[in-house]
Amino acid sequence: MTGQSDTAPGAGIRKKRRWGELAPSRLALGMNLPTLICFVLILAYPIFFAGYLSFHEVGVRELRSGEYGFNGLGNYIELFTDPVFWKSLGNTALFVVISVSLEVVIGLAIALVINEHRIGLSKVTKFLILIPWAVPPIVNGFLWAFIFNTQFGYLNRLLYQLGFIEEQVIWLGNPSTAFMAIIIAYVWRTVPFNILLYHAALQGIPDQLYEAAELDRATRWEKFRYITLPLLRPILAVTLILRTTFAFMIFDEIFAITQGGPGNDTWVAAWYTYKTSFNPPFNIGVGAASAYVLAIIVGVIAIAYVRYVYKKVEY
Amino acid sequence: MKRMSLRYRLFMYASNLLVISFLILPLVPVVLGALQSERTLHEDVWALLPAEYTLDNFRLILSGGENKGTAFQGIDYLPNSVTWFRNAFLNSVIVAGSVTVLTLLLATLTALTVTRLKLSWTGYLMNATVISRMVPLIVLMLPLFVVMRNLGLLNTIPGIIMTEVGLLLPYAIIILVPYFQAFPKELEESARLDGCTRFGSYVRIVVPLSTPALAACGVIIFIISWHELLIPLIIASKPEFMTLPVILAGLVSDQFVFFTVMMAICLIGLAPTLLLVLLLQKYLVKGLTAGAVKG
Repeated sequence: MTGQSDTAPGAGIRKKRRWGELAPSRLALGMNLPTLICFVLILAYPIFFAGYLSFHEVGVRELRSGEYGFNGLGNYIELFTDPVFWKSLGNTALFVVISVSLEVVIGLAIALVINEHRIGLSKVTKFLILIPWAVPPIVNGFLWAFIFNTQFGYLNRLLYQLGFIEEQVIWLGNPSTAFMAIIIAYVWRTVPFNILLYHAALQGIPDQLYEAAELDRATRWEKFRYITLPLLRPILAVTLILRTTFAFMIFDEIFAITQGGPGNDTWVAAWYTYKTSFNPPFNIGVGAASAYVLAIIVGVIAIAYVRYVYKKVEY
Repeated sequence: MKRMSLRYRLFMYASNLLVISFLILPLVPVVLGALQSERTLHEDVWALLPAEYTLDNFRLILSGGENKGTAFQGIDYLPNSVTWFRNAFLNSVIVAGSVTVLTLLLATLTALTVTRLKLSWTGYLMNATVISRMVPLIVLMLPLFVVMRNLGLLNTIPGIIMTEVGLLLPYAIIILVPYFQAFPKELEESARLDGCTRFGSYVRIVVPLSTPALAACGVIIFIISWHELLIPLIIASKPEFMTLPVILAGLVSDQFVFFTVMMAICLIGLAPTLLLVLLLQKYLVKGLTAGAVKG
């Protein structure tokens, strides 16, 4: 936003009130009423209500009667003493770090490839960039579940045909390869978004900078290191934060590929909330507490984003 | 411009080919899986290409389980995901369509006030919008489930639509704001000199001239709504109200594990958004970039 000061040119016009003309403040209120109702009903109220639920006993019986007994910190104590919760949180952290780093590195590499306009083929590549983004997350999950399937999966078929394996590999039954499968599936679907943003930023870098560097006999790496990378820093910050908050919410791929398995080795925070709340014994109070912990983590990142990054990026 | 060395040229061509296969190869198993029968899939577990191609999976799904063809002869049990497929597809179209129209309408009104009127509180509204976009959906799911339950909107299409509009609204506003900001003030002011009210100048001048922006935003919202799993999963527990992603999710818990049928459903499920993305790429790229960076 450019600030409040540039309303000045319209000031003279504003004095003349026409028939049917509302004062700006009323007009604004009228135009925003539907949005405000939506924000309150679907966003603000539920956030507070989630907090309320997290301090109350909420199960199937309470849902039916509509009366929730006060439970103090009971839900939080139950949550923090549950080793599965800590495991889910740890898995989420690991998932976020690996997948976001991969999204940034792969995204940047592909953006640099399609940014070389002199190669005709890059037009085709550019046209196809958004394909993974178009795939519904749950479909993406099943598609990779099929690829990684032990008996019929196409990864085993391919590796066999290439002569790398003799026997079927159990990808999803092994904790570390199952975790890897989820990361691959997730990164494949989300990386186009990063490519798009990096590509837009790369196009904003003036050619003269590179030409000047060429006069100084800079190598390709030096040009990347001392021109491209510093100028990409703002967009790197944006994607880093945005993708981090989104990666914290990974759900669809877990649902489709492993359902948290084998055992509870691929449980993540969102899956923990879902399983505790919507599966027997329907412990919605504890689910709400776990969701709140996740919200606070993401909230801190979101506020930092608005304060330090969001408004400062221009190109 | 400097000439490219042969080595560099070859390297870049190879990189492009690598990226193209990265983007397309994972979709090949979906197509191959959907085009063969479960028996063919089981017979040779090492073959890359099926020995025999068939359209029976599609016939089965599109007929709602009635047209069994040769591949499904003698199979009595069919999961909800197959019998309710057509209905779910229709639900998805209705939900995504309504969500797009409603979200666009509300987001346009708000984005206009934020950029055109600039009152003291619209700045806060914009900050709240940016923060709301990052609220984890899973946090809202539990209270929304209870709220919708109390309002009697569980297992209804309007319940799904309302929830999705609320959750997608912040993103739509963030996408539209930079477009309206770049809109020249002079056009609007000349309309006002000609006797238009403030609101009239928005409806007659700003909105019609922003069609590309609205198209970009609309496509993005449609795609996200088409993809949404968690909201309809929690609000709709009866098959008649389920959308496509929910029907698909139902395949996980079912005893009926037919990968070929699953891949056929997946293929039909991803086709609409894939087509939109390829056809409207230009708008999408602009909208996505604007929505992520500026505001």
